Amino acid sequence: MTSFLAMAALAVVGLLAVWTGPAGAQSAGADNCATCHLAIGDERLEKPVKDYAHDVHKAKGFGCVACHGGNEKEAGMDAMDPRQGYIGKPGRKQVVQVCARCHSDAAFMKRYNPSLRVDQATEYATSVHGRKLRDADDPKVATCVSCHPAHSIRPPSDPRSSVYPLRVAETCGACHGDAKYMEGRRLPTDQLGKYKESVHGKAMIVKGDLSAPTCNDCHGNHGAAPPGVTWVGNVCGQCHTVMADLFRKSVHARVFVDMGTPGCATCHDNHAIREAGDRMLGLGGDAVCATCHGATDKGGRTAVELRALIDGLAARHRAAGEVLDRAEHAGMEVSQARFDLGGARDSLVKARAAVHAFTVDAVRAETTAGLVVADKAHARGVRALAELAFRRKGLGISLVIILAVIAGLLLKIRQVDRRGPAIEHE
Amino acid sequence: MAYAMDDPSRRRFVNWFLGTSAGAFLLAVLYPVSRYLVPPTAGESSAGTVTLAIKPEDVKPNTGQIFKFGSRPGILVRTAAGELRAFSAVCTHLNCTVQYRPDFGQIWCACHNGHFDLSGKNVEGPPPRPLEPFVVNARGHQIVVSKSA
Repeated sequence: MTSFLAMAALAVVGLLAVWTGPAGAQSAGADNCATCHLAIGDERLEKPVKDYAHDVHKAKGFGCVACHGGNEKEAGMDAMDPRQGYIGKPGRKQVVQVCARCHSDAAFMKRYNPSLRVDQATEYATSVHGRKLRDADDPKVATCVSCHPAHSIRPPSDPRSSVYPLRVAETCGACHGDAKYMEGRRLPTDQLGKYKESVHGKAMIVKGDLSAPTCNDCHGNHGAAPPGVTWVGNVCGQCHTVMADLFRKSVHARVFVDMGTPGCATCHDNHAIREAGDRMLGLGGDAVCATCHGATDKGGRTAVELRALIDGLAARHRAAGEVLDRAEHAGMEVSQARFDLGGARDSLVKARAAVHAFTVDAVRAETTAGLVVADKAHARGVRALAELAFRRKGLGISLVIILAVIAGLLLKIRQVDRRGPAIEHE
Repeated sequence: MAYAMDDPSRRRFVNWFLGTSAGAFLLAVLYPVSRYLVPPTAGESSAGTVTLAIKPEDVKPNTGQIFKFGSRPGILVRTAAGELRAFSAVCTHLNCTVQYRPDFGQIWCACHNGHFDLSGKNVEGPPPRPLEPFVVNARGHQIVVSKSA
């Protein structure tokens, strides 16, 4: 009934537009779509026109007919004539075709943005969203307009855009974090909350680091899909290349596939990725190795040994740093030792990365080099403190001597004072 | 004179005056000594400018070398076009020391394979921020590197 009234109102406004002057209505540049939609007084029809004022397509000169068809120069209902290509509001499957008509045309897109990709529709067809739409006509899966809201599309570089890096997680979470919307699907709905608490989420949201990964960096954007068990390492390895290379060659790469566990995410989780730390290594409380290994098996013993190597270097590096801090705060010149100690820190970071080879030799190669550097720096710090102690003792002794001299002088003066009046009296 | 000094009130004044002066003298001596003996809480400020023990002509195009800037490492790079540039050599990811890779023509961190272009910008890998740029001046046979203003 409501739509009937709206159509009737549209027809009346269209007729009025014709009566007020067809020449004006049909003049070059006239946009009868906007004129009628704004004049009817129905908020549902006004909103798209108002929103579109800020759309990137509007800024590039595209009107309503670019997506909806028809002829905006025609007055009234004639503007929406199917014989002029009018399709109205595109259906879910039609949305992708409408967008792809331009966005998959490389020659056309070059005229507006030569660096913009033109494979979005192809990618979308490989995504879980695209496959469910194509195969099952799923009414809930995302189409283009789910992430790029129709009539208010902004480029991804615009901080107000729904696909600006800082807002991607919220955009995906609008569906994936909504338990009611996702009802009946074998997907959790706590990803958004977990991501926000993760090291990646905090880097992105709290620190504002736009290079930090968000949903589309691991899942793809137009081709969004869960990374498979066998290639999740490739996804993490886009940024964590050293660890991914070591892991790929390690015994765990094969074992995790056999176990059906998702590579990196087996130890680091997927959405709730905590900042990696030494606590994860070994068989202690927070150690992820303990999930599969025990104190008696070879893997458990290796984990304990790796932890001991890392802890040993970390402790010596810390001790050397503390000695140098004390010496530096006391005014001693230890900048060369501190400069050299940087080599031990490098070794510690490399040793932590080398853990992903899961062999004692790989880690020991780094820690041995680091220990040499840390011990040398420590020894120089100890020497600087010994020098400081020597100087302090010398200063103390000098002060005692100076004070003794002053005291002696005072006594002498008093003695002279006592004698003085006696001589005067004599 | 002898009678004058025997005046008790004047003697008290002179003793008080000498005692106060001696106290002020000791305070003036002991305070700086105590400040010397008690270490400051903050460390020494890092260097703002260093003159490198490298001649400009010894730095070949498409090479780089590490130098000491205060107690931290810096990296001096001569680009393939011959321009000298310097940055902090502390990787912005986990503070490893970066190095120049002639094969990439980029500054590279071996710890986690981080890449920086020759403007110091982080272009690949995990480093979240660019390297701190320094100002390089070649004065005759000397290279002077300073912190940016």
